[in-house]
Amino acid sequence: MDKQIYILGRDSVPEVITLDSPRDLGMILVALPGTSLRQRLEIDIQSPGCEVELRGVFLCTGQEQLGFDILVRHSSGGSTSRQLFKGIAGGSSHTEFNGLIYVAHDAQKTKAWQENHTLLVTPEAVASAKPQLEIYADDVECSHGATTGFLDEMEQFYMRSRGVPEAEARKLQMISFLSPVLSDLPEGLRDELINSL
Amino acid sequence: MSDILLEIHDLHANVEGKEILKGVDLVIREGEVHAVMGPNGAGKSTLSAVLTGNPRYQVTSGSIRFRGEDLLALKPEERAWKGIFLSFQYPVEIPGVSITNFMKAALNAKRKAVGKGELSPAEYLSLMKEKMAFVGMGREFAKREVNVGFSGGEKKRNEVFQMAMLDPVLSILDETDSGMDVDALKTVAQGVNSLRSPEKSFIVITHYKRLLDYIVPDIVHVLKDGRIVKTAGRELVDQIENGGYASIG
Repeated sequence: MDKQIYILGRDSVPEVITLDSPRDLGMILVALPGTSLRQRLEIDIQSPGCEVELRGVFLCTGQEQLGFDILVRHSSGGSTSRQLFKGIAGGSSHTEFNGLIYVAHDAQKTKAWQENHTLLVTPEAVASAKPQLEIYADDVECSHGATTGFLDEMEQFYMRSRGVPEAEARKLQMISFLSPVLSDLPEGLRDELINSL
Repeated sequence: MSDILLEIHDLHANVEGKEILKGVDLVIREGEVHAVMGPNGAGKSTLSAVLTGNPRYQVTSGSIRFRGEDLLALKPEERAWKGIFLSFQYPVEIPGVSITNFMKAALNAKRKAVGKGELSPAEYLSLMKEKMAFVGMGREFAKREVNVGFSGGEKKRNEVFQMAMLDPVLSILDETDSGMDVDALKTVAQGVNSLRSPEKSFIVITHYKRLLDYIVPDIVHVLKDGRIVKTAGRELVDQIENGGYASIG
């Protein structure tokens, strides 16, 4: 699916998107270093036969205050939504992810997934996640997962034991962590993100 | 007699507060292949971890000298630049990072540390091709993510490939035979054997005789409960095979 890329703070992101006929929607929200804002986004699926792919990638290296308030509302059944947000919180940044999947009473055969993973790379960085499911239909497939973690020590040792210096090893680890959300970005933007790690 | 490469003296080491190595002494000279055998939990992997600077392990006393230099004062990457390599028992998966990019980072860092320039992309690719053929890895490996989705045998081949790329002076093979079928074992052993030279030394850590049929050691040590309890020639391997570790020490 083609995905529209939005650089937060640079491109204007619609706050509410309504899908009232069968269609695909692909979006990638990108927060480059230095982006402090709260991004609200509601996707209201009012038709069966919709496919929604929502991705987010964020990289905070300073004192950013970055928040996502994401609501995917399945008002109608028979549609699918997938969300994957991955980001790195460094410096003394604060990141927050509030994600709600809402499935209405009549929205049977809905499939909805949401994942949010944040890597903390400095002791001062703070990340919070509030994934929520509100499901009123009984024939659905829904899940959510959120993790907040640190760089894996064994992975880092493996690289260093091969002669990769610590700073470079950490960078490779961050690239590795972000790789599922970097793969869909155009090369220029991907390089911009990688170079700011 | 050739020069001493590695000298371990009365080495004690802990992991998570528990003493695992309880006074290891070991001298390795240039060109020698040493086997370290021992039952599970004897401290074999701890020894390899301490030699390469794994931060999870703490050395509480004793010394390790590598070409006369205090090895314990060096970071893991500095030890790699000096020519130490560990083939991991459980190689780590790094999703999203290709073998090509990983090895390029490792090799160029090492070249920089020893005052050499980076390889040109063409030089690097031809070196990769040569070493991949050397361990029987197909070309498609270069693009694959490090160890992701690899079988046990492929992971070990990838370790020996990296060893060949980095051209170490002291190679430590930690249970390289685990998870490998006989064909993969033969390829890997062949690779290791062709790296043997009068300057290069090896420590082959293994539980079983099998690998030592292919990589024939000069000296065999038995490690039991954190100490080397016996050192002899290759005939010791057969003695262990026949009598078990209970017959030693």
